[in-house]
Amino acid sequence: MYKWLKWGRVAVSLAITILITLAFLFFSNRDNLFFSKLLTIQFVPALLGVFTGSAVVLASLFILVLLFGRVYCSTICPLGTMQDTVWRITSLFRSKKSKRFTYSTPSKFLRYSFLVLSGIPLLFGSSFVISLLDPYSNYGKISSEILSRSEQFIHNVLSSIFPDTIFFRSYSQFIALSFFFALAFLILVILMSAFRGRLYCNTVCPVGTTLGLFSRFSAFSPVIDKESCNKCRLCISNCKSECIDIEKAEIDASRCVACFNCMTVCKKSAVKYKYMWGKGGQKTEKPVSGRREALLTMGLMGSFIAARAVTKKYLSSPKETENGIAPPGAISVSNLKNNCTTCQACVSACPNGIIKPATGEYGINGLLMPVLSFEKHFCGYDCNVCTQVCPNGALIPLSLEDKKLTQIGQVRFYEEKCIVVTDNTACGACDEHCPTKAITMVPYGDAGLTIPVVDRNICIGCGGCEYVCPAIEKAMLIEPRAVHQIAQKPKEDKQEKIVVDEFGF
Amino acid sequence: MERRNFLKSALLGGIAGAVQLKPENLFASESKEAQKPNDLVAVMGGEPVAMYKRGIAAMGGITKFVKKGNRVVVKPNIGWDKKPEYAANTNPELVAAIVKDCLSAGASEVVVFDHTCDEWQACYKNSGIEAAARAAGAKVAFAHDEKYYKEVSLPKGLRLKSAKIHESIVDCDVWINVPVLKNHGGAKMTMSMKNFMGIVWDRRFWHANDLQQCIADCSTYSKMPVLNIIDAYRVMTQNGPKGKTTDDVVLAKALFMSTDIVAVDTAALRFFNQFKEMRIEDVSHIQKAERAKVGTTNLDAIKVERIKI
Repeated sequence: MYKWLKWGRVAVSLAITILITLAFLFFSNRDNLFFSKLLTIQFVPALLGVFTGSAVVLASLFILVLLFGRVYCSTICPLGTMQDTVWRITSLFRSKKSKRFTYSTPSKFLRYSFLVLSGIPLLFGSSFVISLLDPYSNYGKISSEILSRSEQFIHNVLSSIFPDTIFFRSYSQFIALSFFFALAFLILVILMSAFRGRLYCNTVCPVGTTLGLFSRFSAFSPVIDKESCNKCRLCISNCKSECIDIEKAEIDASRCVACFNCMTVCKKSAVKYKYMWGKGGQKTEKPVSGRREALLTMGLMGSFIAARAVTKKYLSSPKETENGIAPPGAISVSNLKNNCTTCQACVSACPNGIIKPATGEYGINGLLMPVLSFEKHFCGYDCNVCTQVCPNGALIPLSLEDKKLTQIGQVRFYEEKCIVVTDNTACGACDEHCPTKAITMVPYGDAGLTIPVVDRNICIGCGGCEYVCPAIEKAMLIEPRAVHQIAQKPKEDKQEKIVVDEFGF
Repeated sequence: MERRNFLKSALLGGIAGAVQLKPENLFASESKEAQKPNDLVAVMGGEPVAMYKRGIAAMGGITKFVKKGNRVVVKPNIGWDKKPEYAANTNPELVAAIVKDCLSAGASEVVVFDHTCDEWQACYKNSGIEAAARAAGAKVAFAHDEKYYKEVSLPKGLRLKSAKIHESIVDCDVWINVPVLKNHGGAKMTMSMKNFMGIVWDRRFWHANDLQQCIADCSTYSKMPVLNIIDAYRVMTQNGPKGKTTDDVVLAKALFMSTDIVAVDTAALRFFNQFKEMRIEDVSHIQKAERAKVGTTNLDAIKVERIKI
């Protein structure tokens, strides 16, 4: 029976990890939002998005953990599945002896330090620390920076073999900081999991620690039947959480990720997945350890949600100044810094490839958060993809109509740098690209030339003009709106109907 | 009496309709037998495909331009992520009709592409051109990366001495230029010559180095289109070349075709001038190209046929 549970878990976890990964790959993500929508089942996104539509998901995750233990960590979390996969693969190259896990005492100090370290900034409106530690978001960064780039490489190899049917995917931006962070994180997690199984999950991961506090009270828990156990230690050597203490015949439920390995391997059927509620006795026999930590965490969570509910109203103070243009749906740079965990779902999804991880545009606490760059392209007028894929509510979903009026920045025209002025020749590239006609061309001089004029109230900051401006020093630059505004509607230009019956020549 | 009149006029009308009895046609058909073929054909009043069929017949049929086994490129304007009714791109029905015609003339392949301004996949899709061209039997080529372009020298160019031109143009036997008639904030008008901006990689250079001269320079390319067909079925008369709403568009129902790129742009400009005032001097690439002996702006000096449907 436990075999079924275990292999069921393996199948579900692989399926979820594949689906999550597909949300970051081009071929699967280009024409639909299906995979991106699945990202909302992740814990930290659900927590951050609790007021933007994820309350049900968050409640479901808690219920799941309260019923079955940390199954989130062994089935839903893609980083967890990745670590299990690493252990499996590296086991192939190991001697039998070093394949075995042993029991280790919990590193409580480290666990709770990481939790407090990432939790407290959240209370004060910064998701920066948690963005560095959240397992899903880091898996996102790995997918976006490493898997997606590998996919691009394969795509382009195929495109050189089938040039007529497979197009070349232009290499665009490469943000070294983001790439090397993802690479370093990947190497770290590979090393940790290759040697110590779920070490990351049980010492560093703030999600693991949080869920661990709930899993000790879960309805179903693994327990060792002292009578039938012959202390063969088979369960211990298969416990990737290193949480089975055979001397005391105890399993540390706060670290157990409910992988069902111990139950599957036990030849005496001494490890059981038991229903614990309502059976009183067993649990209260000895004081439950970690009560203080539990209170602390719940206090953190409670005050986090309360702080959220309060600040939601005035998230955007109009005084902010920033150097980066936040993607549509961000509401404001401070809202972004409050909610973004830098999973790069938006970076991967942008069809124009203009969203890049920030390297300082938003300051230190905005590192790797999405910022627009108009160097290689501009924001598509008829596109709202980024606003649809964010699982955190850092970018809230915008309808196409709303997005077309969302002013993420405003153009500034430097006439003295304009080609029409410097060279006295025609250009109009900016006007050509302007979707709202915030830029129009008016007569300039007597030679039939035209020069741009801008109406900043209509401008939505899409960056078409900045991108295309051919002047060496750009004459059109988008200034960020730290708090996004609603632009005025483009002017209606009705024209009288002229009936033409002749060719005119 | 009334009945007799009615019958008479009905009969006459029927005959006139059957033989297309119109003054221009009478003269045209007289001279057609005796003299050289048309240099420029203007068609008005029909649907895109019908106008194309009448126009190409008056030009002597597609077989005059496309030979059996030819590799053909049909180059529409697919610059923008806009649906056909916005008239920011060439009419997809027209593109499909030309593709079919080329294939029926025995073309070994017909390639359709454009170097778009908006994101290329959105442009190809929403313009309706990718689907229409594919359905008609064309191959739709990629043009969104520099690797699809080849360096070509333009010895007669004044400012533009060389350009990276799309490989399908460089490698084809013949190509047909199919722009859409639009107003343009910078270049004033966009027609056949301006449509060359979609066969090159680096457009920014043009904008930075005398746009009007660069447009004319590119038209000195040794491999010119065998035919230029300007789609003026829907015409964007303001806010071009991208346009905002369908308010920018008039249903003009016209089509112009010629082997002479300067002449066809001149004709289309004069037609456009009836909707919005537009002086040929202001669209200075036309006269610059004429000075480079690319073609003529003097429509009286060439043989023009005007067809009303």
